Amino acid sequence: MFGYDTEALRHLLATIIQNNIKLDAWTWLSKQGDINNTANFNAAFAMMPRKTGKAVITITTEQAEQLNTIRPGFVIEGWTADRLGRVYLLLQADATNREHYFAVIENLFLAAEMNELVALYSALPILAYPDFLVKRCAEGIRSNIGSVLEAIMYHNPYPAEYLPEAAWNQLVMKAIFTDKRLDLITGLNDRNNPELARILMDFARERGAAGRSVVPELWHLASPFTDAGIVNAVKQQYSTI
Amino acid sequence: MCCSHSFEDKPLPGQKPEAFDISAVKGMKFFDPHVHMTSRTTDDYQAMADAGVVALIEPAFWLGQPRTGIDSFRDYYSSLVGWERFRSSQFGIKHYCTIGLNSREANNEALAEQVMEILPLFVYKDGVVGVGEIGFDDQTAAEEKYYRLQLDLAKEAGLPVQVHTPHRDKKHGTQRSMDIAIEHGLDPYTVIIDHNNEETVKEVLDRGFWAAFTIYPFTKMGNQRMVEVVKQYGSERIMINSAADWGISDPLAVPKTAALMKLNGISAEDIELVTYRNAITAFAQSGQIDEADFGVNIDQSARFEGNSILRGGQQPRVDKSSIIIS
Repeated sequence: MFGYDTEALRHLLATIIQNNIKLDAWTWLSKQGDINNTANFNAAFAMMPRKTGKAVITITTEQAEQLNTIRPGFVIEGWTADRLGRVYLLLQADATNREHYFAVIENLFLAAEMNELVALYSALPILAYPDFLVKRCAEGIRSNIGSVLEAIMYHNPYPAEYLPEAAWNQLVMKAIFTDKRLDLITGLNDRNNPELARILMDFARERGAAGRSVVPELWHLASPFTDAGIVNAVKQQYSTI
Repeated sequence: MCCSHSFEDKPLPGQKPEAFDISAVKGMKFFDPHVHMTSRTTDDYQAMADAGVVALIEPAFWLGQPRTGIDSFRDYYSSLVGWERFRSSQFGIKHYCTIGLNSREANNEALAEQVMEILPLFVYKDGVVGVGEIGFDDQTAAEEKYYRLQLDLAKEAGLPVQVHTPHRDKKHGTQRSMDIAIEHGLDPYTVIIDHNNEETVKEVLDRGFWAAFTIYPFTKMGNQRMVEVVKQYGSERIMINSAADWGISDPLAVPKTAALMKLNGISAEDIELVTYRNAITAFAQSGQIDEADFGVNIDQSARFEGNSILRGGQQPRVDKSSIIIS
């Protein structure tokens, strides 16, 4: 169901959360997570910030390393308490009944506000049946909400691990189109591919023709799969800009 | 909500229009507690931000085209807490909303039943500051039924109520709205009665409710009349809004009215109360408004590591006076 040690992750996140929210909020949160009581589960998910607050969490270097050992690439630094609380809640959900599990989670996506979407997409790397979340992840990349895109693109190991090439290439192009930081995309170099290079070079030509600039990382991604002479020729278009 | 335009109140010909001088209200902050941004353009967002609007409330309303299925309602509510909230944040304006089944569509009872079922999914969302806008339009039995049910929902959720009052048979409809709210055990201090005029304001204030005024050309309040209302009734529990929507309306109604009040000698303190503070006091009873969030980015989580141009107040500007579009 999960590709990692869920018990260890639950335990570690519980410790981190307890260090970051008030005792009564933790007492409440520790009792939530029964997805067979859908109404309660939905309500707990929605009201998380009322309970946990929205302060940015603190986490020790050691805890960050432990996280990376349990679920490689999973990073929570800079998260707010409500975001972590929501991800923790999702982690409590019993995934035995796959159909019900997906119905509940998909329903959260359908009625989500902005910060809920951020939390939901942040949870992709730790949800059960990751193979079945590919379409949902690709749908998220179609969003135009900046913080939602960042939740998928930045420090999130799921896309690089599971997206097929076409969807991955969309992610990279969307990141460029929405001025995201490419250096924060997990797996950017590992997933680089000739088709992406072709798309990037076409894009560079189009931008050049329009008298607009491109981000320097574009050349870095395109170069391994593109003739150096062609890269230089297209770059020439930009010399006068 | 502006439901039915009637143009009989057109301004008198020959009146000399006075230009809106934004410098009169420069440095002031405004809160527009009723504006339907879904129906507005990015130009409006920019103009509102420039004029000092730092936060707003978008009540759920009738979109002009009747909805025929529950998914249309669900997507609309989702857009109020999702996409529109983000769109607003791009201009540095904090976006809140109220969620409810509007009076007009309450008359489609088969659909209204389904809407009531999904409302609890939305009223507890972050940034939902009330149940609204609800109340009467035609004052039918169905409207009353769903008004009552939603008052109970607001009470259960601990949220203020934003009450739309009808265009036709307004005074009676307003009284009935208040009677029913009290009958359902709501504290008048948690109920904002909207779209008041000179005829309704006294009773609304006397009974302890909040009185909101919509500055909306032709069909609702003009701001010269609004100045007189504030002169007569003061600033306690009074707030103004634009209710700008898909009709001929003005998203700058709040700052413009503040400017007009200033020109007419109303004190800075009173102006602040009716164009900013009172709306916050009323709707902050939801526990969902934090002034520290105004005029900044989407929120803490969005600020992390972000240097995207899709950031509050940082949308690129286009020079509209230029023939060149680049």
